[in-house]
Amino acid sequence: MNISKEKQGDILILTIEEKEANLSKSDHFKELVLSEIAEGETKLIISFEKVEYLDSSFLGALVAILKNLLPLNGTLRITGLNSDIKNLFELTRLDKIFVLKDNLETALQDFA
Amino acid sequence: MNKTILLVDDDLFQLKLYEKLLQNNGYSCRIALSVDEAESILLNNEIPDLIISDYEMPDKNGFEFRKRLLKNDLLKNVPFLFLTSVNDEHFIQQGLDLKAIDYMAKDIPPARILSKINNLMLAVREHYERSLSEVKGIAEKLNLRNIPKKAPVLKNFTISYFNQSYQYQPGGDFIDFIQINDRYTFVILGDVMGKKWGAWFFSFSFLSYIRSAIRLCVFDETFSLPIILHKLNRVIYADEFLNDIFSTLSLVLIDDEEATVCYSGAGDLPVIKYDATARSLVTHQSTGILLGFSEKVFYDDINIDLAAGEEMYLISDGMIDFEIDGEKKSDMNLFKEKLSALKERNEPTENIVNDLFNKHTSQIDDCSIIIIKRKNDEHQ
Repeated sequence: MNISKEKQGDILILTIEEKEANLSKSDHFKELVLSEIAEGETKLIISFEKVEYLDSSFLGALVAILKNLLPLNGTLRITGLNSDIKNLFELTRLDKIFVLKDNLETALQDFA
Repeated sequence: MNKTILLVDDDLFQLKLYEKLLQNNGYSCRIALSVDEAESILLNNEIPDLIISDYEMPDKNGFEFRKRLLKNDLLKNVPFLFLTSVNDEHFIQQGLDLKAIDYMAKDIPPARILSKINNLMLAVREHYERSLSEVKGIAEKLNLRNIPKKAPVLKNFTISYFNQSYQYQPGGDFIDFIQINDRYTFVILGDVMGKKWGAWFFSFSFLSYIRSAIRLCVFDETFSLPIILHKLNRVIYADEFLNDIFSTLSLVLIDDEEATVCYSGAGDLPVIKYDATARSLVTHQSTGILLGFSEKVFYDDINIDLAAGEEMYLISDGMIDFEIDGEKKSDMNLFKEKLSALKERNEPTENIVNDLFNKHTSQIDDCSIIIIKRKNDEHQ
């Protein structure tokens, strides 16, 4: 799957460059992010601005990443969710476990 | 859902010709002008149902492509055909030795090529259904069932349910009813995050824990849904086997003596009630988050007042995920609109599935709904 990486100071910004974030990509995504965490990245922003649809496999991968990050006192910010996906997060209380930000600028402010 | 075929050929004219032939006969196609382009498509998209490749192409040829696929665990079992004008006996044998299902010459009439592809897809489907049937048979013998055979019969309520798998594969949705006695019945709808076989497999682990938690609490005369969910979540959180696996849960307790319904949820979609007086849908959202994410979670419970003739619905996310004109989306409002329209027409709620999914709106996940209806006459 296509994920672009950018580093701003000690913050790793990952952008999902896909329209659909689904089962065929979720394992790869999880492995990639967990390997970044294993290498010491604990301040993460994951941007979904290109993503139109997110399935439950990919959501599960995202939850697993956060669960792995929290014991390391890591920080994860999610940005760029479209209104359908944001609504799904709210309906299922995922907005209680993830910190959602409208855009990259506001996400970066959380690390300031 | 159409079967997807990846066509690989450096001749754009040939590619377009076969693409049109296959699309006219109900297949979806992806086309690649080189092995590199094909590999990029395979990396970034869902795995196709069939790959058809030319032999002679610049850079990497069809045999090299096939050898690379055979080294990839995810792709080595995708049915593969050669379609080429290189038809020397030596090449045909080499191609077939690479576990290609067939080696077809481009001078074969298109109608015959199409028949071969149709027959192949049918054989693959039949083989899959036989294997699935065997697995289901074994699961049945072991009493491994994540969807019950029937709902309990109650005095004041009727319970009906529906579950539909996606692409003939089992999924993570699970349903159960635990009738403690004539008075109390628990209704369970869960959904393991993930899809297909992986989610199906883990649904049994979650179901076992849920059944145990309910039984153990009831032995202690605890019928509080937040307490049951709290204990259940703690044990799932502690299970290393389920470390990276999460599930939603809608849990309902029906008191058939008092004719009351209580609900609590964990990361599930809100339950919906049809208010017969206001002729509108009302949603009830619980506070609980996904089972297994955190050790300390606050679960609440909500009493749902069901007057005679009123219904409530528990749904899994497959009921709100759609593909419309090739675009996938999650849309709770679309589900509610369809449900409202159905109730306005006084049609049975069970018709919702036919209403939801049709030739314009495709199902994209396994989906489940449980309908709990308060009977009109309590003595019925």
